[in-house]
Amino acid sequence: MADKTMIEISNVTQSFLAGDETIQVIRRADFSIKDNSFNIIYGPSGSGKSTLLNIISGLQRPTSGTVKVEGRDIYTYRPDELANFRANRIGIVYQTNYWVSSLNTLENVALPLNFLGYSRPTAEKLAKQTLERVGMGAYAKKSPLLLSGGEQQRIAMARALASTPLFIIADEPTGNLDAANGDKIIELLQSCQKDFHCTIVLVTHNIEYLPLGDAILHIEDGKVVQSSGDTVATTDQLLAELKTRLDQMKRVKK
Amino acid sequence: MSQLAVGHKKYRSIPNKVLLYISWRNLTSKKLRSGLTLLGIVIGVGAIYFLLSFGIGLRDIVTKEVLGSQSVRAVDVSTPNSQILKLNNDTTQKINQLPHIQELSTSFTYPGSLVYSNSETEGIVYGIDTAYQDMTSLNLSQGRLLNKNDVNTIVINVSTLKAIGVTNQKSIIGKTLQLRVPLANSGAKQKSIQKNFTVVGVIDSGAGSEVFIPKFNFEAAGVPVYSSVKLLADNTKNLPNLRKQIESLGFQTTSPIDTVDQINQIFKFFNLILLGFGMIGMIVAVLGMFNTLTISLLERTKEIGLMIALGSRPKDMRKLFIFEAVLLSIIGAIIGIFAASALGMVINILMNIFARSRGVTDRFDLFVDPIWLIFGMIGFMVLVGLLVVYFPARRAQRINPIDALRRE
Repeated sequence: MADKTMIEISNVTQSFLAGDETIQVIRRADFSIKDNSFNIIYGPSGSGKSTLLNIISGLQRPTSGTVKVEGRDIYTYRPDELANFRANRIGIVYQTNYWVSSLNTLENVALPLNFLGYSRPTAEKLAKQTLERVGMGAYAKKSPLLLSGGEQQRIAMARALASTPLFIIADEPTGNLDAANGDKIIELLQSCQKDFHCTIVLVTHNIEYLPLGDAILHIEDGKVVQSSGDTVATTDQLLAELKTRLDQMKRVKK
Repeated sequence: MSQLAVGHKKYRSIPNKVLLYISWRNLTSKKLRSGLTLLGIVIGVGAIYFLLSFGIGLRDIVTKEVLGSQSVRAVDVSTPNSQILKLNNDTTQKINQLPHIQELSTSFTYPGSLVYSNSETEGIVYGIDTAYQDMTSLNLSQGRLLNKNDVNTIVINVSTLKAIGVTNQKSIIGKTLQLRVPLANSGAKQKSIQKNFTVVGVIDSGAGSEVFIPKFNFEAAGVPVYSSVKLLADNTKNLPNLRKQIESLGFQTTSPIDTVDQINQIFKFFNLILLGFGMIGMIVAVLGMFNTLTISLLERTKEIGLMIALGSRPKDMRKLFIFEAVLLSIIGAIIGIFAASALGMVINILMNIFARSRGVTDRFDLFVDPIWLIFGMIGFMVLVGLLVVYFPARRAQRINPIDALRRE
């Protein structure tokens, strides 16, 4: 595995104003993500995971600190460059998938390529290949809205892959899926890393997937703790996670 | 999968063609809504087009009736004081030297009397040249007009024919008439012209009795002053300047274009009123369009947020809405114009059939389709569409993808 740094987060803080109060969502995050690695961000709801993803994907300028991708601070880009950066460098998969409802599956998958300036025939040709890559070639002409959750999620994977990005951000992609479909998506993510040399940033609740990570970012109350994917750290985190889950269940019972 | 490893280093953005395609797909995916919005625009544009088509058609008919056969490039020259400034050969030569005159004609007009077999009639006698005939189309119905070297020939109008009791136009050709034109107070050498003329043609114009003879007859009688000088400018654009130059010589000028200007002035006002009525339909269309675009924006907030998150530029999302509005405008305008024009055409045909049954021979168009009105209408609707889409498009551009895609 290459040791080159892909994403470097230095001293990133994100706070929001809620009324008179300033809420710290991310507190001085400092970590880096290596090229061609499988990273897992994990933490309870409301811990700041989504905010962190938005910051990495260039949608949310942090209150302070820098986000460097390939050595360049992405928030020094002009807005149009930042849009191009998103289309060119990042593939995004959400928990709930969104589609341009008037377009069919193939056209939706081709969108990131269109945003890069590709004409429809070229973009759709490339999109067709990625659709086939995730085993959804037969659904090209169908509306994605009519497909099952698992199918939609695979098409979302194809859309994220279409522009052969540097890294894929998957925000709880298995959250709405059953175990079998969820596993398929995770397998796809793994093969993306292998075949396309993509860097994967996976946000998940599911502790089962933690052992898959090359690096794990534990986030709680806005604090990001990075640990390498060795067994000891993972086991500790598993226990910590189990404990929180149990606490939650007790609270629900009361 | 190496063929997928395309380097997208070059900085480009979504092609307009693709944006237009997405706009089109969005409109066609909501057929009922788009169709109803379109219907509103069709009615709005159609109403305005229909009314203006009528207003302009009516103006053209009125102009044609008033102008008759006169050219808008024609100028009549007269003198404000015939004692001091005379329209004679010298002064006419001076006018003729001015630039941008295509043709100039001088003529004499005197009252006279006409005798044919046993009937006598009074009428106006014109002494004219061929240039006069070129400028004033005399609407020949039988025989021929005057030729350059004619001397004792005469062209008479239908009213004269009736006055002398002839019903068959053909029968008068080649017959001889006796004409008497008193020239008292004209300063002429002879006291009158009293001669026989051979009829060569019958024309269908003029309200009273009018006859036309070669102006040579008046010149030979020694009439020193022309009754009228007419000229034709080479171009309508040069007309005002030419008139100014003639007026600076001390003459007065009148031109049919003055009448046309007056007619246009009146119809400008008339058409404005028609436009006002049409605008009511347009306002309804605009409200419908605004409603559709706003609902579309609200419905698609997530979609737009998604596209921005996937790497589209916010200004492209603005363009997406502008394209939708322009598509609706252009399609609506074209259908509206087509429908209104078809309706006008049907009415034109019916009116002509009705007129023919009442004995009107000339075809006329109450509704007209000038090219400028068609393109003006489309352009106007596009402009309206751009105004309507201004706020929805601006909101689309300002959509924050994080807020739009936040899980509920």
